[in-house]
Amino acid sequence: MSAVANAAEQLLNGVTLGMVYVLLAAGLSIIFGVMDVINFSHGELFALGAYFALSLVDPLGANLGFPVALVVAPLAVGVVGVAIERFTVRPLYGRNPLYHILLTFGLVLIINDVIRFTWGQQQQQLAVPAVLSQPVGAFGVRVAVYNLFMIAIAALLAAGTWLALNRTRYGMVVRAGSQDREMVRNVGIDIDRYYTLVFGFGAALAAVGGIVLGGYQNVNPNMGGSVIIPAFIIVVLGGLGSFRGAVFGGLLVGVVQTLTRTYLPVLEGLTVFLLMIAVLLLKPQGLFGNPEWGGGGDEEGELLVGAYGGVFAAGTRRRLGVLAVAGLAVFPVVATVTDNGFYVTLANTMLVWALFALSLDFVMGSAGLVSLGHAMFFGVGAYAGALALLHLAPSFLVALLAAVLVPAALAWVVGSLSIRVSGVYFAMITLAFAELVYSAVFKVEFTGGSDGLLGFDALLGLAGVGPRLSEIELTVAGVTVGSSVVFYYVALALAVGTLLVARRFMNAPFGSVLQSIGESDERAAFVGYDVTRYKRRAFVISGAIAGLAGGLLAVNPDTFVISPDQTLHWINSGEVIVMTLLGGMGTLFGPMIGAGVFIGAEDILSSHTEQWRMIIGAVFVVFVLFVPRGLVSVPALLARRLGSDEGDPPLGVEDREVNADD
Amino acid sequence: MHEPEGRLSETRSHTRRRFLALAGAAGAVGLAGCGGDGGDSGNGDSGGDGGGSDGGDGDGGDTDDDGGSTDGSPSDLGSVTVGVVNPITGAYSSLGPGQRNGAKLAVSQINDSDEYDLELDAVYEDTGTEAGAAQQSAQKVVQEDGAQYLFGAISSSVALSLNEFAAQEEFIYFPGGAAVPITGQACNEWVFRVETNTAQVAEAISAYTVNNLGSNVWFHIADYAYGDSVYNRTKSRMQAANDDFTEVGKTASELGSSNFGSFITQIGNSEADAAILGMTGGDLINFVNQAAEEGLKDQVALVGPTMSFLVVRGATKGNAVGTFGGVRYTAALDTGDNGQFVDAFNSEYDATPDNFERVGYDSLRLIAKGMQEAGSTDPADARDALAGGTFTTVLGDVTLREGDHQATNPTWMSEMVAGDGELAAVDLLEKTEGEEALPPASELGCEMG
Repeated sequence: MSAVANAAEQLLNGVTLGMVYVLLAAGLSIIFGVMDVINFSHGELFALGAYFALSLVDPLGANLGFPVALVVAPLAVGVVGVAIERFTVRPLYGRNPLYHILLTFGLVLIINDVIRFTWGQQQQQLAVPAVLSQPVGAFGVRVAVYNLFMIAIAALLAAGTWLALNRTRYGMVVRAGSQDREMVRNVGIDIDRYYTLVFGFGAALAAVGGIVLGGYQNVNPNMGGSVIIPAFIIVVLGGLGSFRGAVFGGLLVGVVQTLTRTYLPVLEGLTVFLLMIAVLLLKPQGLFGNPEWGGGGDEEGELLVGAYGGVFAAGTRRRLGVLAVAGLAVFPVVATVTDNGFYVTLANTMLVWALFALSLDFVMGSAGLVSLGHAMFFGVGAYAGALALLHLAPSFLVALLAAVLVPAALAWVVGSLSIRVSGVYFAMITLAFAELVYSAVFKVEFTGGSDGLLGFDALLGLAGVGPRLSEIELTVAGVTVGSSVVFYYVALALAVGTLLVARRFMNAPFGSVLQSIGESDERAAFVGYDVTRYKRRAFVISGAIAGLAGGLLAVNPDTFVISPDQTLHWINSGEVIVMTLLGGMGTLFGPMIGAGVFIGAEDILSSHTEQWRMIIGAVFVVFVLFVPRGLVSVPALLARRLGSDEGDPPLGVEDREVNADD
Repeated sequence: MHEPEGRLSETRSHTRRRFLALAGAAGAVGLAGCGGDGGDSGNGDSGGDGGGSDGGDGDGGDTDDDGGSTDGSPSDLGSVTVGVVNPITGAYSSLGPGQRNGAKLAVSQINDSDEYDLELDAVYEDTGTEAGAAQQSAQKVVQEDGAQYLFGAISSSVALSLNEFAAQEEFIYFPGGAAVPITGQACNEWVFRVETNTAQVAEAISAYTVNNLGSNVWFHIADYAYGDSVYNRTKSRMQAANDDFTEVGKTASELGSSNFGSFITQIGNSEADAAILGMTGGDLINFVNQAAEEGLKDQVALVGPTMSFLVVRGATKGNAVGTFGGVRYTAALDTGDNGQFVDAFNSEYDATPDNFERVGYDSLRLIAKGMQEAGSTDPADARDALAGGTFTTVLGDVTLREGDHQATNPTWMSEMVAGDGELAAVDLLEKTEGEEALPPASELGCEMG
């Protein structure tokens, strides 16, 4: 085989992969680019398309069933999409795209459980017509017919969508809406109806992708989760609001990824993220993005910070805080006496995540920096802590110090590079950095690869002096206090201490500047503040706190392994955003409560039902719709419902309906 | 299955000793805790479970009555809590339910049988998607439910962390993962593995591949612990088996990749006779489907250590025909008491069991047999009875080898051939006996002392 034919084959592979990416990203590009909706459930709609097709192909046979499925299944998923938009997305228009994360995260859990429940967990094969599943050759180049089929479908789809957007009245309205929704509404067009259709169309495109790819790979319940990140990256890399960008971005990534697999294999797993970072650094609005278009930059929508001030007076709040800490301090004693040691272990996990959530709120709740890559700092903290225990000194102080310093340094670097882009681009570039770190962990020896780090143990002291944290057993008044309890108090002290320090920061001029930046970058800059520097400082502090949380995970005597999926996987970044929103963003302590509730609910539900993810998902959806300010606003909402007149009405809670229309 | 009956009477005579041992254990815990309360809290749940039968033990007459009564009576050793933790969600969710079903079948058989003087009270938990959640589940069944016997997990990272947990808390753990280090470098006295490890399968496929399918071999692995393990084991075994062995090339794809076109082209355009595929699950399925569509199967013999898995054959169907694979277990085997296992599984779940079902089934049976043989539900006694013991399993009589507690399972090389239905059938080509398949414990890195 000549080198030329070989290269030609690889190029064809690259185009195939690129077109696969186009299929993944097409629907998302429409929804994300036009409507500013960060639709995490795109992947599940993609999977749903494949599963609908499976149900059609099985009884009808591949030759008849597959073509029928290509038409019918996308229509069915389109209907699902319309329903999703109408009942869950529409009430959120005008709010920050952040809320779509919480909402669509919930939808992911619901749809995914429906898929598992209906079609089972196994990988399945979507049979394709025999003509499509064979190789053909010409000029010494061999290629599978199915690859050509995928290229053709993707090209057809891309061309059709482009025409629909650029050559029809519908498309014109939609494009206009993506630039200035208010203006379109003012000229008398019911833009919301268009958006419903756009969402349905995007869902149908996702389904087409799912069917075509289902015939190429296999159909399984995890397929949605595995495509969502690449799909987002393609869209952002191409430029939000630019369909052309998504197509070109997909092709670029496909070809580059395939060629590096052949000629630069060391970059396997990193290419996509490196490409995206490079593009966003050189051209912050993406390859074809128009800086004047939406995409989160100028149409941020309102961030609803948690409102808790209304019901309780300041003195009451302080007393409540002290009471809560006192309760937490007594908890392990009660748990130990009543022989419920496991709940101390569970509470330890909650404390770790509470700190993690606090770290995110520090930048998200004040400066409005939505980081989708915060797991990177948490994970690097955990790894730094474990590595310090293994190689430096088995002291928990050394471990925590490493866990704070390394992520802080990383946050400085990532922050310096990322802060130049804003809004959704910032979320995506932090995600890319996080994925880079995640992939890198598999590649280097000292992190233990996919198995992670094992065999570390922390001493409760310095320089090798002191008892092993995991072997501590004290006996107080006939009650044996294990290492979990000792760790609990360490973690509790750190969590409360960090919360107080973070509050101090927020109440200082530094915090006020951050808040003014959160309200408007430009205004803060105009007044004379160095916005970038303030943001970066906040980001470094936030990274350090996230690292501390990771470090605590490592020194926890009940932690036996620090593994990539446990700490660095993007799902952790998603979950911590969900916790923050659940608890009440911008209050610092709200997200900590959110973390506790999230983990507690997961534990209780998962022991009682296999459909626990669906229940949690439904809770998210209900929350984002009806309790947008999080758990901390519940007392205020209740007070309002009960007609209590103690204290002022919580700020902004009653504005929800007004905000709905932006 | 004559052995257990033979041991029954012997077991009864141990009853009183067991009670004393239990009392002693409680005392020891009490000492550690400096007081009776400490003993209670340390041993609370299992003590509570055993409470009824302890009373019986104290009163000799009761014990005899129990032994004399017929089916399902509370037996001498009482009820034992066993934790079963499996990946029901996450990357291994296509395998976890099978593992659990196998375990469930064993529990119901053991509890219905009078061959055992004990009843298993199984608690089930989901290990979720990653090691943190898995650890939490295991902690829950151990700390809250009081399980002193644990079975489950598939991911090597999760299994390795549970290894450490078992060593620290001193309970018996039967892992469901195949990675070598679980009973290799990370082995400890509390861990016993019924699952066939990667080294044992490598033994079956390596020599056959290099001697019969061709000596020019390409390695394609998924870039994680399992892939590396396959590469290292098969390569070294091939070198040992045939001097002509040549490594033509090696490629690695990110774990969870769904597009293998680039690698398939590289392999197809090389001089390779055979390609070892060091990956499993979705990665392997996608590779095989895409390789079939690109015609790679006609050029190169594709050999996967897990190619014969029902999950893989179910999602590759005709595309698997003509590929080769290692076999840890297949329902058609006539080894041990596999016949009754397949029948029982079929009537319970209306499905054919595969490797993960077998692992669940035999792990739970060996947990029970260990206690039965020891005449004690104390994990330390069961551990001593299991270590080095030989037991009848669905794979025949296997030994939980003294040096590393790895079951000496036989392994097979097989070819996927056209079956009666859509699924490819497994045609066994060559068997590697248990003793030959398992390299010495020292070679696998286990130093148990």
